[in-house]
Amino acid sequence: MMATLRAWPFWACAAGLALLPLISGPFYTYLWVTCLIFGILAMGLDILMGYTGQVSFGHAAFFGLGAYSTAVMIQFYKIQSLWVSLLVMAVVVGAYALIVSYFATTRRGIYFALLTLIFAEVVHRIFFYTYAFGASDGIQGLDPVTILPGVPVDTPTKIYYVVLAALLVCYLAASVLVRSHFGRVLAAIRENEDRARFLGYNVRRYKMVACVVSALIAGVAGALYPARAGFATPDLLMWTLSGEAIVMVMLGGAGTLVGPILGGAFFTILVEKVSSVWDYYFIAVGLVLAAVVLFMPKGLFGLVARWTRRREAPGAAGIRVPAGAAAEVRRDPAARAGRRT
Amino acid sequence: MELLNPHVLLPQIMHGIVFGAALGLLAMGLTVVFGLLGVMNFAHGELLLWGAYLSFSVLAFTHSYWVALLVAPFGVAIMGGVMEVSTLRPLYKREPLHGLILTFGLAMALRELVRPIWGKDTLVIKPNQIPALIQGSVPLLGMTYPRYRLFLLAFSILVMVALWAFFTRTRAGIMVRAAVQDSEMLDALGVAVPRLLTLTFAASAGLAAVAGVLLAPMFTVYPTMGAEMILLAFIVVILGGMGSIGGSVVAALLIGVAQSLLALKFNPQRASILIFAMMILVLIWRPRGLFGKEGVLE
Amino acid sequence: MLGDIILETQNLSRDFGALRALGHVDLQVPRGRVHSVIGPNGAGKTTFFNVVTGMYAPTAGRVIFKGEDITGVPPEAINWKGIAKTFQITQIFRELTVLENVQIACQSRLPETGKLRSLWAAPDVRDRAADLLKFFRLDGRLDEHAGNLSHGEQRFLDICLALATEPELLLLDEPTAGMTPSETREAVDLIMQVARRRGLTLLLIEHDMSVVMGISDRVTVLHQGLKIAEGTPDEVRADPKVVEAYLGGEL
Repeated sequence: MMATLRAWPFWACAAGLALLPLISGPFYTYLWVTCLIFGILAMGLDILMGYTGQVSFGHAAFFGLGAYSTAVMIQFYKIQSLWVSLLVMAVVVGAYALIVSYFATTRRGIYFALLTLIFAEVVHRIFFYTYAFGASDGIQGLDPVTILPGVPVDTPTKIYYVVLAALLVCYLAASVLVRSHFGRVLAAIRENEDRARFLGYNVRRYKMVACVVSALIAGVAGALYPARAGFATPDLLMWTLSGEAIVMVMLGGAGTLVGPILGGAFFTILVEKVSSVWDYYFIAVGLVLAAVVLFMPKGLFGLVARWTRRREAPGAAGIRVPAGAAAEVRRDPAARAGRRT
Repeated sequence: MELLNPHVLLPQIMHGIVFGAALGLLAMGLTVVFGLLGVMNFAHGELLLWGAYLSFSVLAFTHSYWVALLVAPFGVAIMGGVMEVSTLRPLYKREPLHGLILTFGLAMALRELVRPIWGKDTLVIKPNQIPALIQGSVPLLGMTYPRYRLFLLAFSILVMVALWAFFTRTRAGIMVRAAVQDSEMLDALGVAVPRLLTLTFAASAGLAAVAGVLLAPMFTVYPTMGAEMILLAFIVVILGGMGSIGGSVVAALLIGVAQSLLALKFNPQRASILIFAMMILVLIWRPRGLFGKEGVLE
Repeated sequence: MLGDIILETQNLSRDFGALRALGHVDLQVPRGRVHSVIGPNGAGKTTFFNVVTGMYAPTAGRVIFKGEDITGVPPEAINWKGIAKTFQITQIFRELTVLENVQIACQSRLPETGKLRSLWAAPDVRDRAADLLKFFRLDGRLDEHAGNLSHGEQRFLDICLALATEPELLLLDEPTAGMTPSETREAVDLIMQVARRRGLTLLLIEHDMSVVMGISDRVTVLHQGLKIAEGTPDEVRADPKVVEAYLGGEL
């Protein structure tokens, strides 16, 4: 953390972002808020996807559960305190993430992706069909959150600064994490899971913790969403959002923390522009993801890093499984067939 | 308890078997592609979707169900072949996760693409569009059962038997099956490999489309049917054990019947949540799935 | 103590469906010795290693390490008990630097590992890691991405990783595969030095007969999953069953 706090780019960006609302009107400030919220979501996913090498197709569940945490607190318990909502979110999302990761890590790679998807879809259906949560309409017309008793966050600018603060805190926490021993082990798992295991690391436990951390960050983003939108709907739990989160990470550059934040912002602006002229913009989303995977798998950050020829931080290689391990897996018929492997 | 009334139970079980057969076709294609190409095709459900939509259009155009049954899967197979060559092939040398994410992106695009083309409303295939041969009902095991569903079951079985014959009796099929189990066999096949992979992917796409065409008259055609089916197919694959083609079929039948029986008591949405709960229970008891082979470390 | 049996397998078998990859293998390795496992391709040698290190559970039989039954124990636990392994296809962390590779290996043994503190701290094992790398002549490449090393250097790195976990028994799966003759000599020399220094027991899979004959105390020969011969290198070399199995091979 000290390293980051000392680095001038961090302060430059923080200052720049802090000044943004002063030069934008309310409409654009709301847009920046959305950008930052999805930046946090993407950064959270990156911990799991870019650093640990586990692709989650169910991150919308963490996000949506966070949003509903806030919404339920405000609507049903009349508690507008953001802190309480965050606490509730931590409990709910943390528990859910533990359960999902427990099952998703029972088998290798692909099952993780499948199970995160299935679990998330079930959560979506539960909220979609449960009247207590407003069913398909969700919970609408929410009062603003408060950061201190009697201090509502009710203008675009206030919301912006709250979200910005959350982003910076999450970013600092995440950078500490990835540079820690835990973070290095995650990178090792991404590079060569078997080798890490044969060095004595309980890989499954590391994956589970990584999943919970990743989920909690996504949950923070979700908990902030109703502050901006005033509602929480089942749409926030849909697989489509999970897909968009993956696009954000890939677009920005997996395994870099900063890349996904950029990706989240860039993607949000892109969608904002495209969806206003084309109803079926989601076709573009899918094609963009395919194109990014095919032509720029390291994302925007990878491109920038290549241009400035900065030495990429370890783990900035995007999602990788080295050819050796992949080849060994291919050679091993039982592992290839994806059985209890 | 009226649930145990055979007049209610029997048709439901049959419904489950019929649906399970179609689901089995879908899951088989998924399993073979994963085994041979190493890619979990997230767009597989959308191939079923496109099969259904295409069959609707072909049917509307030619007024012949049989033509639709032939043309739609063929069209989707071509789509699949193009997909494999242009987007998947470059990724074989790369990390498997890239292929996964790519198919997810394609799934998103394909799913949305039906809306501008066919609209977002449900399309219904009217009974008079179905050939008289497979319309109406027949007496069966003490009940009257829709002929169309029996046809669906019979046709699915026919396809599965044909595939089984292919995999066990033809030279090409035996090689593919061996390659699914041991990818070093793949190298032994030499130059033919890229073409084999494309054909396999196209065939699996066609298979998905067949399932879509078969289900379309029964379930109507709507934009999210691909997503719903793929979710079930994933559960099938998790329960059935990857790499086991037979296991996929059995798991599909089980899920089909389970879903049917649950639908007697619960509404469809609750039923799907319960199917999922069942999957969790099975995984707790047997993490490798029902037919997964015990072996390599988890 | 030197001489007592550190590893023993009893009737070890492993099937893959209808294929019996390993059948009824009995083996005893005394502490401090060098024991080689040889055999033609497909003999089951790597499967044997994989069963001993917990990657597969055996279909039958037991594995006993230091008197304790470790059959079916998962790999990470087996590593903690004192068995380390290198891989037939080099398994290293390609995108991490050489130093980071070994640091991660060293850190796995520390008490801080797996505790909450490791979420923000990184224990300093730089010196230990650097020393180990220096021994294997990799100290000039500390900050390079491991994937950029030459093949021989990568195999050395693989060995460093295994050694960093402070094993008592080291399993080497074809350690000199793909190495030039001079690299092979250097590798064997270094491995034997470190084994003597640390009192390691070595269990080796090797195709290079000069290595096998040169350093082994005992040799076990596998063929189609079964043990067909065992003895000193000279005894095995003269055994007609072995010669036949190799059908005019490198013996």
